[in-house]
Amino acid sequence: MRTDFARLDLRLRRRGSWAYSLGIGAYALLIVVLYPAFKHDTSLDQLMRGNPTMAALFGISGSLTSPAGWLNANLYANVVPLFALLVTIGYGAAAVAGDNGDERLGLLAALPVSRHALLAQKLLALGVLSLPVAVATLAADVVGRFYQLRPSWQGLVGVTAGVALTAMVFGCLALATGCLTNSRGIAIGVSSAVAAASYVINSLSGSVVWVHHLRLLSPLYWAVGQNQVENGLPVSSLIALIATAAVLSGIAFWAFDRLDLR
Amino acid sequence: MEAGQGPSSTTAVALEALTKRFGRRRGIEGVSLEVRAGEVLGFLGPNGAGKSTTIRLVMGLLLPTSGSVRVFGSDPRHDVSVRRRIGYLPGELALYPSLSGAELIGRVARMRGGVESRRVDQLVERLRVELDRPIRALSKGNRQKVGLVLAFMHQPDLLVLDEPSSGLDPLLQEEFEGMVRERVRDGATVFLSSHDLDEVDRVVDRVAIIRRGRLVGVDTLDQLRQRAPRLVEVRFAEPIDPTRILALPGVRALDANATELRLEVTGPLGELLQTVQPLGVADLTARPASLDAIFRSFYEDTPRGEEIHAY
Repeated sequence: MRTDFARLDLRLRRRGSWAYSLGIGAYALLIVVLYPAFKHDTSLDQLMRGNPTMAALFGISGSLTSPAGWLNANLYANVVPLFALLVTIGYGAAAVAGDNGDERLGLLAALPVSRHALLAQKLLALGVLSLPVAVATLAADVVGRFYQLRPSWQGLVGVTAGVALTAMVFGCLALATGCLTNSRGIAIGVSSAVAAASYVINSLSGSVVWVHHLRLLSPLYWAVGQNQVENGLPVSSLIALIATAAVLSGIAFWAFDRLDLR
Repeated sequence: MEAGQGPSSTTAVALEALTKRFGRRRGIEGVSLEVRAGEVLGFLGPNGAGKSTTIRLVMGLLLPTSGSVRVFGSDPRHDVSVRRRIGYLPGELALYPSLSGAELIGRVARMRGGVESRRVDQLVERLRVELDRPIRALSKGNRQKVGLVLAFMHQPDLLVLDEPSSGLDPLLQEEFEGMVRERVRDGATVFLSSHDLDEVDRVVDRVAIIRRGRLVGVDTLDQLRQRAPRLVEVRFAEPIDPTRILALPGVRALDANATELRLEVTGPLGELLQTVQPLGVADLTARPASLDAIFRSFYEDTPRGEEIHAY
């Protein structure tokens, strides 16, 4: 399979990807290095128990001072997915709608490549861009093993896969919305709104009964909302995230085929 | 080929009753046109007339509302192989600002496949393309040169060029025209839009004129000139009554007084000459309409140019 188009897009986003990866890597490193200082701080857990709904709003549930709880509360329940989604929603919205708005897509679509192949390469680039934030955080987690932070490998790999897949899902949402509307702004807006709703649903699903029933609609629940740092990524989550990405990709293919290009 | 006949094997591009609307906004309406293999067809019209829309339809970038586009007998929207034979330069050439000219040309050449590096080098040298600076640092003319390399580098059978010489200096414009002639000599077809009438005069075999989304004229430049009104100035030795002259078919007065007439005459001059001769002509000059005047007559809201279709 030719990958020239995917490599072009990755080349154009090289600096941004590095910046996001280094940024989240540095932040994650700071979090893991700080862990020994908080490991025996029981006041944090008491604070949690005192107001679990407020804690849930910040994505915190369970013990804050266990290795898995510390990583969940400070990384995987909020900041890491946010960074990963910034990268993929940004790319998903720019890959078709943005490039078309800038009148750059026509030059590429006029080359001897089918629209399906062109979009497949955009999806390939999206897949690659889903990885750096999750992998940079995993690298910091590995360093954390020298700082008494030793969750299971299965958990770390599982939550890394969960973050990457949920980033892919939201990137596909932005891509599909961009193909349907031909507007980068709408693609970013819709995807960000869905991501925010998904975050709130996942965060409050353990505290508010009616929100609990909605949790299955949240990609973040499937990716990081089931204590994946400790338990790894369930097969059901894997299937749900892959299926959602596949459906959204299908919509993107359908819409891209009908899109007027400039 | 006569009007009304279907496309033949010598047709490079065939547009049949092509219509494109963007919601309520007009694009083009019922455009039928053939570009014959081996010819240079100039596609002219005022801004917003529908030239770029038509060109994007030819490239398969837009989905027609109705009608059909065939390029070398295939639908360019779905037939990838036919796009291999086309070189395209968009009107609003937007390149990737952070890439250098060399990197962009190299990447597009790999995407296209089958591009000889020797050919790229020749074009770069000929157009004096600045390869090493980022695209964002290049002037419009230098960016246009990169676009021309991308369009010509695979020696396409059909060149679809939307205002190709925009931003080029006169020397490079000449070089570009030379490149077009060479491709045509090798059997290629060129479909180009331009606002530069001198360039059109030098390069094209036929012109198609579009106005408000509709094709209003297709013919050779010679034919257009012959059909276009001429400017005739007559000075008489004595004051005359111009009534008979102005009543002649195809004659329109631009300015008239007792001894001088400025007329716009469409069609043969014989009848006019026979009419003025007995009135004592002191001087008479007749000038063909300039290319500019011909196209103005098509572009104006109430075009004086008759609709001509000879495709």
